[in-house]
Amino acid sequence: MLIWRVNLQSGSLQREAVPESWSRLGGRGLLARIMVDETPPGCDPLGPNNRLIFSPGLLVGHMLSSCDRISVGGKSPMTGGIKEANAGGTTGLKMACMGIRALILEGQVTAAPAARADWRVLHLSLDGARLEPAADLVGLGVGEAAARLLKRYGDQVAVALIGPGGEMRLSAAGIQNLDKDGVPSRIAARGGLGAVMGAKGLKAIVFDAAGAAKPPLADPEAFKQAQKVFTRNLADHPQTALYRDYGTAAMALTCNALGGLPTRAFSEGSFEGAETLSGEHLREVTLERGGESTPTHACMPGCAIRCSNNWGGPDGKSLVTPLEYETIGLMGSNLGIADLDVVARLNWEVNDLGLDSIDLGAALGVAVRAGLMAFGDGDRAMELLREIRQGTPLGRILGHGAALAGRVLGVIQVPVVKGQAMSAYEPRAIKGTGVTYATSPQGADHTAGNTVRAKVDHLDPKVQAALSRNAQISMAGYDTLGACIFAGFGFAVAPEVIPGLLNARYGWQVGGDILQTLGRETLSLEREFNKRAGFTAAHDRLPEWMTLEPLPPHRSVFDVAEADLDGVFDW
Amino acid sequence: MVHLHTSLRRRTPEGLVRRLEVALPAGGTLADLLRALDLQAEGLLLVVNGRTAHLARVLEEADEVHLIPALSGG
Repeated sequence: MLIWRVNLQSGSLQREAVPESWSRLGGRGLLARIMVDETPPGCDPLGPNNRLIFSPGLLVGHMLSSCDRISVGGKSPMTGGIKEANAGGTTGLKMACMGIRALILEGQVTAAPAARADWRVLHLSLDGARLEPAADLVGLGVGEAAARLLKRYGDQVAVALIGPGGEMRLSAAGIQNLDKDGVPSRIAARGGLGAVMGAKGLKAIVFDAAGAAKPPLADPEAFKQAQKVFTRNLADHPQTALYRDYGTAAMALTCNALGGLPTRAFSEGSFEGAETLSGEHLREVTLERGGESTPTHACMPGCAIRCSNNWGGPDGKSLVTPLEYETIGLMGSNLGIADLDVVARLNWEVNDLGLDSIDLGAALGVAVRAGLMAFGDGDRAMELLREIRQGTPLGRILGHGAALAGRVLGVIQVPVVKGQAMSAYEPRAIKGTGVTYATSPQGADHTAGNTVRAKVDHLDPKVQAALSRNAQISMAGYDTLGACIFAGFGFAVAPEVIPGLLNARYGWQVGGDILQTLGRETLSLEREFNKRAGFTAAHDRLPEWMTLEPLPPHRSVFDVAEADLDGVFDW
Repeated sequence: MVHLHTSLRRRTPEGLVRRLEVALPAGGTLADLLRALDLQAEGLLLVVNGRTAHLARVLEEADEVHLIPALSGG
């Protein structure tokens, strides 16, 4: 395994050995380690000293079902703290096969927004690395840019790229990755890492794994056995069939039943139009429409769950892939929109701009509160998104996400923590996830530790901190392995499979608690970086209005004790 | 009213349904409801009137019951 280090300022491209202290980490955990070791905590996220880091998780590279995720990290322009965003697709798999434990990008072409001629594509292969001009790609959405890159470099490469949002250095810009069919739809969305890449003057990174093989195994037979057990457990698990048939959209009616479906700019917790936003409806319509529409699609090669989908219009032609619950919540019920065709078109637009659909949905909710559009007006929502592509001042304000939009537009009822928007779990109704929003070093992010599935009273403030703690530790562990959250229910059947796979892959002797060990180490490093960057307990809070304004239908406020929030990481 | 989420939808003489009215004797509980529907509690999130409920919960006529196969969200 090796580290690639690329300096956009000097143009230096170097292979380095993996330092001993980094060698037992990957993905989110390794990002945190590198950030603490190298990135000045006070640096400007858009300046030359911020690092943009790509690292596949520890188990990536073997087409182990749902375990080939790529983690991307740096200091976030949105939160001002550490950021990890991960995605499926093929980037992680190709990097691991090329033996790359981490790619570290430093410096920037120019501090000012790059001129057309300054933009670059980074090309990595087993032969080496080179920076190439990207002038012909500047200003293109990710769809057209990816198509040109695949034509230029061949359709077997993996690509990580930014859209116009990242080029404009917007805080809600993410980094898109190709799915297994070459569609740029798997976005490391959260916290503005696309803006960090844009600030470096980099439009795309091409990973050409020609000639590469799967990473070596210390004990191939033991790996094969552990893989067999995991795959069988996953295939037999009832949740696998549920996700295959309904996808994450099944959460719409679950959250609606709990009064936790963000509705009309987080002012209500249930939506009268939830039925036509549901996974059940999505499945019926995609099957009925046929053509490219399908309720089942794998984002990574070899995934046994295939929870993704392709939403086609009435003629069956794809409008967007995938259509996920978070987007449905933030761009559907949150905007008073009950039509999945409308949500799909908005989703495609933000995808192509290379922006985070969660923060953009929340920003449009803020726009409604500010009187710039009405609830349910999908056409106006699209007009506002098109302003981003045009680069108008209003478009740029929205493209920086909900927190900035709220500040500029004078709205204080903004659903953010550390400047990052909440996803589609209302924290006043699902308070454990609210604890995660408040305390995660990442800012509000359900993937940092969602508690909605727990069989507890989600309104009881007393039981939530422990739930959130356990969920956050597990998720930080899975993110370090490169495992999708949904691989978790396969691992949960036989937890010994995780150390089994790691020991067989690397020749280690790790024990049964390795998932929690990796999770705690990762969270500790992330909190250390944030502490050095100026974060205190005062930042681990939900916005005050959510503690004051009761949420229908339960009339509940967020009332988890501050002492409980402060104790989440006392382990 | 009983709401049957995702895979719990069932075929009835009226077609495929996701909502049912179920008659229970007075004092009937969630456990009785599951028995009447021939469902196991394991792997189900049980929600009554918007709140997670236990099997011993006594059901009333106007209750809205959601039976939800466990999902982890995305």
